Amino acid sequence: MISKSKIFEVYEDKARNKLFTVNLTPGKKVYEEPLVTQNNIEYREWDPYSSKLAALIANKCQNIFIRKNDFVLYLGSSTGTTVSHVSDIVGKDGFVFAVDLAPRVMRDLIFNLEARKNTAPILESANHINELMERISIVDVIYQDIAQKNQVDIFLKNISAFLKKDGYALLAVKARSIDVTRKPKQIFNEVREQLENEVTIVDYRTLEPYQKDHAMFAVKKK
Amino acid sequence: MPSKFIFTNILGSYVFTENYKAVEEILFKDIGQFKEKGIYEDKLRQKHGNLAKPEDNDLHNILLFFKNRKYFPGFLKKNLELTKNSIKESVNNDLFIVQAAGAIGEIDKTLNLLTKRLREWYSLYNPEASDKIRDHEKFSSLIAKKSKKQLLDEFDIDEKDSIGSDLKEKDISAILSLAAQINSLYALRAHYENYLKELEKETCPNLAAILGVAMAAKLIEHTGSLKRLAEMPASTLQVLGAEKALFRHMRNKKNRPPKFGLIHEHQLIQKSKREMYGKVARALADKASIAARVDYFKGKFIGDKLKKELIEKFKIEY
Ligand SMILES: C[S@@+](CC[C@H](N)C(=O)[O-])C[C@H]1O[C@@H](n2cnc3c(N)ncnc32)[C@H](O)[C@@H]1O
Repeated sequence: MISKSKIFEVYEDKARNKLFTVNLTPGKKVYEEPLVTQNNIEYREWDPYSSKLAALIANKCQNIFIRKNDFVLYLGSSTGTTVSHVSDIVGKDGFVFAVDLAPRVMRDLIFNLEARKNTAPILESANHINELMERISIVDVIYQDIAQKNQVDIFLKNISAFLKKDGYALLAVKARSIDVTRKPKQIFNEVREQLENEVTIVDYRTLEPYQKDHAMFAVKKK
Repeated sequence: MPSKFIFTNILGSYVFTENYKAVEEILFKDIGQFKEKGIYEDKLRQKHGNLAKPEDNDLHNILLFFKNRKYFPGFLKKNLELTKNSIKESVNNDLFIVQAAGAIGEIDKTLNLLTKRLREWYSLYNPEASDKIRDHEKFSSLIAKKSKKQLLDEFDIDEKDSIGSDLKEKDISAILSLAAQINSLYALRAHYENYLKELEKETCPNLAAILGVAMAAKLIEHTGSLKRLAEMPASTLQVLGAEKALFRHMRNKKNRPPKFGLIHEHQLIQKSKREMYGKVARALADKASIAARVDYFKGKFIGDKLKKELIEKFKIEY
């Protein structure tokens, strides 16, 4: 039985311990996710092992800050696995700017998401604020997952340029992408300190056991 | 005088009042127009006189103006168009090198597998040939060209003494079909090797001169582009491909750092004494790094000079 979860627009099958979003483009899969229909509504299964945002929900966060009708800036979209669920969540009256700098993954994303009219693919570096400025608007939420050494700087720059006042932003941090020699815990602490200088941290949790050595920070713009 | 702002994005070129109302706009029909935005901005400037570029809070408010559902279709269409364009333009020789080198690697694996099969199969008929002809390519090519008798004659073996069976024509033909495919794979491999050589002559002649065509391709494959190779320090280039060992060392200094990664197979290292490995690897990586930079910036050919310096320094020919 699929029913509403605690998170808006996210559904769960408690007995089977699975998460879902409502498919914005019924009949179409984005990757290999199973589709399940119940009472004429088609749901797409959302696997915490292949999506950090799903892992955050599976680890019992109270809020993902992405709501129906929101404008979302998604940095590090890759081939669109998580983006597609964000696109489901914001729905047809919301919009997702999906940014990645690698042509190879962007090519797949275009094919994977072409049926979704609420997602714009943008081949650009998240670090190029001036270029991005010409391609997007202010947004309600920023989600970043780019696995880069300077990811916190990039995150803060984007918040400053594109997030609305009082808006929320999520940062997925992969400890190894910052420094392979130190303990993840230590790295997450440094990220926390760096964030605290400029934004208010509203949630922090690691994504074990679904995503090894990863953590997610949720912050609010001051 | 109240200042007005000019702002351009993929949708068009706009003039905003200080209250962030769009008083004039030139909407772009396509990405071509966006790429020539200067023309349209000039038009607006001529008409409106002094126009400021928005910054900070003004910029924020102008970007907020576009946070409106009515711009969804424009943002979608124009971003899609520009992204498709950039993907098209991102194709370059580096990618051909990566693909061609990858294909050669896969052909090698396939050949290895199929040749083993061919030897087993053909040896039911003429095992002496497999025993005498050790080279895979030669083996496959000879059995396709010559009869069992011809081959045995060449080895001075009487056909009666062969321990292979006499097979029916259709069984022999089944085996030789495989040999024919294997031979054409060898031909394909030779073709790709040549193609790779030509590509590298255009793209990275210096790197190819120092490392050889195959190894230069491997390094580009590993980093994804000549650009990245040119941008990394020589010490990183030296251990490319040995990341696991490197991380083990970085996490715990008791583990020794790797001396080399992909460049390990290089003749200069293979032919030198063990105690010289570290020195040679460092010098080789230094030269390769210089070569990659010269190639990336399309400089002159200095590959022969760099190579000569290595040969003289270590007194090893390659
Ligand atoms: C771990 S993957 C993202 C996975 C994706 N968020 C998901 O859950 O489906 C990281 C992506 O970030 C991209 N990336 C790395 N640096 C970037 C940058 N500076 N700007 C934009 N994208 C970047 C990479 O190309 C890669 O596709």
